[in-house]
Amino acid sequence: MALRFEDDFLKKLEYLHVVSRRAFAGQSRADRRARKRGRGLEFADHRGYAAGDDFRHIDWKAYQRLNRLLLRLFDEEQDLPIYLFIDSSRSMAEPAKFDQARRIAAALCYIGLAHLDRVTLLPFDIRVGDETQPGRGKGRIFRVFELLEQLEARGPTDLREAFKAFGGRSRQQGLAVVISDFLDPNGFEPGLKMLASMGHDVFVVHITSAGDRHPGPLGDVRFVDAETGDLRDVDVTPSLAAAYGSAWQAHQLELERFCGRYNLGYVRADAEQAFEQIILKTFRQGRFLT
Amino acid sequence: MSFGAMAAWQAWVLLLAAAAVAVWLFRLKVRPPRVAVPTLLLWRRVLDEPRELTWWERVRRAVSLAATVLIAVALALAVTRPAPRRLNAASRGRVLIVLDASWSMLARITSGETRWARAVQAAHRLAAESGGADVALATTADGLVEGPSADTALIETAIDRVRPSGGEHAPWPVVAGVDAVHFITDGAIGRELDPAVTVHSVFEPAPNVAITAFDARPATAGAAAEAFVAVANYAAAPQRLHLTVTRDSTVVAERSIELGAGEAGYQALPIDAGRGGRILARVAAPANALAADDEAVAWLPRGEPVTVTVVSDDPGALALLLQRDAGVTATYVTPAEYRAGRAEVVIFDRWLPRAAPSRPALCLAPPTADWLGTVGTEERSPVWTPGARHSVLAGVDPLTLDIRKVRAYDGEGLLPVARSDKGAPLVLVADHADRRLVVLAFAVADSNLAFAPAFPVLVGNAIDWLARPSYGPARAPGRITLPASVSRITGPDGSAVPVARAGDRAFATLARAGLYLIEAGGSRGVVAANVGSPEVSDLARTTLATDAADTEARVRRGGRPWWTYAVLAAFVLAALEWWTWQRRVTV
Repeated sequence: MALRFEDDFLKKLEYLHVVSRRAFAGQSRADRRARKRGRGLEFADHRGYAAGDDFRHIDWKAYQRLNRLLLRLFDEEQDLPIYLFIDSSRSMAEPAKFDQARRIAAALCYIGLAHLDRVTLLPFDIRVGDETQPGRGKGRIFRVFELLEQLEARGPTDLREAFKAFGGRSRQQGLAVVISDFLDPNGFEPGLKMLASMGHDVFVVHITSAGDRHPGPLGDVRFVDAETGDLRDVDVTPSLAAAYGSAWQAHQLELERFCGRYNLGYVRADAEQAFEQIILKTFRQGRFLT
Repeated sequence: MSFGAMAAWQAWVLLLAAAAVAVWLFRLKVRPPRVAVPTLLLWRRVLDEPRELTWWERVRRAVSLAATVLIAVALALAVTRPAPRRLNAASRGRVLIVLDASWSMLARITSGETRWARAVQAAHRLAAESGGADVALATTADGLVEGPSADTALIETAIDRVRPSGGEHAPWPVVAGVDAVHFITDGAIGRELDPAVTVHSVFEPAPNVAITAFDARPATAGAAAEAFVAVANYAAAPQRLHLTVTRDSTVVAERSIELGAGEAGYQALPIDAGRGGRILARVAAPANALAADDEAVAWLPRGEPVTVTVVSDDPGALALLLQRDAGVTATYVTPAEYRAGRAEVVIFDRWLPRAAPSRPALCLAPPTADWLGTVGTEERSPVWTPGARHSVLAGVDPLTLDIRKVRAYDGEGLLPVARSDKGAPLVLVADHADRRLVVLAFAVADSNLAFAPAFPVLVGNAIDWLARPSYGPARAPGRITLPASVSRITGPDGSAVPVARAGDRAFATLARAGLYLIEAGGSRGVVAANVGSPEVSDLARTTLATDAADTEARVRRGGRPWWTYAVLAAFVLAALEWWTWQRRVTV
């Protein structure tokens, strides 16, 4: 699948910002306000002068009024660590779903790179695959495209194991975006809880497809579990298909409620939905992008 | 219910087997198509939770099984060709269905169909209603056509195969052991029927015009060739008929004739027929239900004289006679000069070649020859006594003959047609496929024959009989009886007509109208067969009694055979099952 975007669309992406509901400490100067005071352009506060402070930051006007030496403090503007988790398990093997997931990942990556954020791409299934940090600057997006194009859906899903492996290394806290169908046999809750507990601002992108939501009355079929290879003969009658549809709806609501309960961001991205619409409209409505 | 294709027990076994196979196939686990799903997680959740089935979901499988069995049984039933069993005891025996194959059955009636089509429908209905009885099919023209057989399919195929082919006066078909005879007819031809025969009338009056007689006479010295035509209008109203006579594709005469209802007209049409040949008459009129009698053919003999070769050392009076006969062109050769030629007739005078001639021959006082016969004892002053009637002797007055001596002649295949009072053969004929001969056992010089009035008559008859035999006037298509000498008959379409022989007769069936070329012993003759006749063409008339004619109403359209309904039911069931199952309409 080619992930190249149109120039017009890239221009639109450049106007977007990834929103983090919390401020995180960055490593490099960027255009995102950090928690600590520093050498930014935006005035933050005053404090009393102490020996060794830089004279250039003494507020002489305040000295005239108050007859005290006060030092001007500025907000530090740093980059934001963005961890993009993309589900590459077999359950995502349906081309429409996987393509949509990779496009979304690519778009978010581009937005982050354009604003000098520190983006880390983490494909995962039962474990986290080779993580990639393309660097800084939007010129690096082509490397991201290549990586995503080479990505293949394989292996079973286990969010908990994958995020456990992710947390095994010391990492700077930041924004964690999980792009997945969340069809984890062990449930999505433990994994997402674990990720949130690591101090990251977690944002969930739920990839769905029509086949997942409404399989239709398929008749006598033998289902093959894409991840485990398990077989099950089922006569999919219209009523059974409707029951399945309800079960899927319940699963989706469960995920959405879970995210609400744990203050995780949630956006649903249907594979059949136009990609531009998801990025420019759905994500903005979900307050993930501004 | 009875079964046309097999015995009842076989049919029931087949039905049970079909049902059993259907159940087995239904219960057979067919490997379903594989469908990959991202996870079985949600499916397990749905399938493992108790779900209340609707009533239809509970019975759906049983209904499908029942439908499958019904489809199989319906198809098997169609194969058995079921029919309703008639309660009439007589019908369980042997049934004979006789179709009237008269040409009048081809008449088109007001509904647009022909009487024959209606008769075929009636025959199908009777065959279907035979209730398992042995059925035999016969026509008045062909006799027994099929059966007796309990296989309805066989009979129905035969019913569809037969066609009207005349047989107006053919003998009634007889089948042994018949319990019921059904005769389907329009009653155009009167027949003496057994009272037990059930007559099914397909009669419905129809207007018609026809050529009821047609013949042609060659040109003579003083008159042109003529065609004699009789046309009739059998419509209820006067009609203008258009009559055309053609030779090959050339119109040689054309007339427009106004005829009243039931009126017949006779026309003698002078025609420029050239050297003769096939003459075709055709009549047309607005109200005309039967096409078969609108055309008639005749053969116009060539006006050319018969070529004769006389083999004699002294033709004498014979030469004098033949020179004066305009109908004969004679050449004379001595026995030493004789070679087999193309003359139509050869006359051997007191001499015979070593081998039999290929052409018809008149032998006068022949000597002994291997291929002909041996000379016997001599009889003086024989008295000619009337014997068998033969066309060679037509018009010969024996009282004018004075024969001084005759030598008895005898040979294989020679038939004496005139004898002396003491039994010595005077005139003999041979009429075989390989030779046609006339033998005079006495020499011209041994009698006053050369001066008697009987001489030119006898010689002329012999030459005509030998060279251009007549097989009678135009006749209706059907069975014809001919002399055993007939070797081959060629039909109007050029195909050979089968000839059967019995004794001194040959039999053939002239199945259709047209000209038939008959070859016999080196001679050729033509006989015309025409359909039209007052008996056949008057479609407003029937010989059936009024009550029998009223039975037309009983010859209603037969219902379709049951097997068609069985196939239809199977198809509908299969379509419904497919629709509801494949489209998941009812589950």
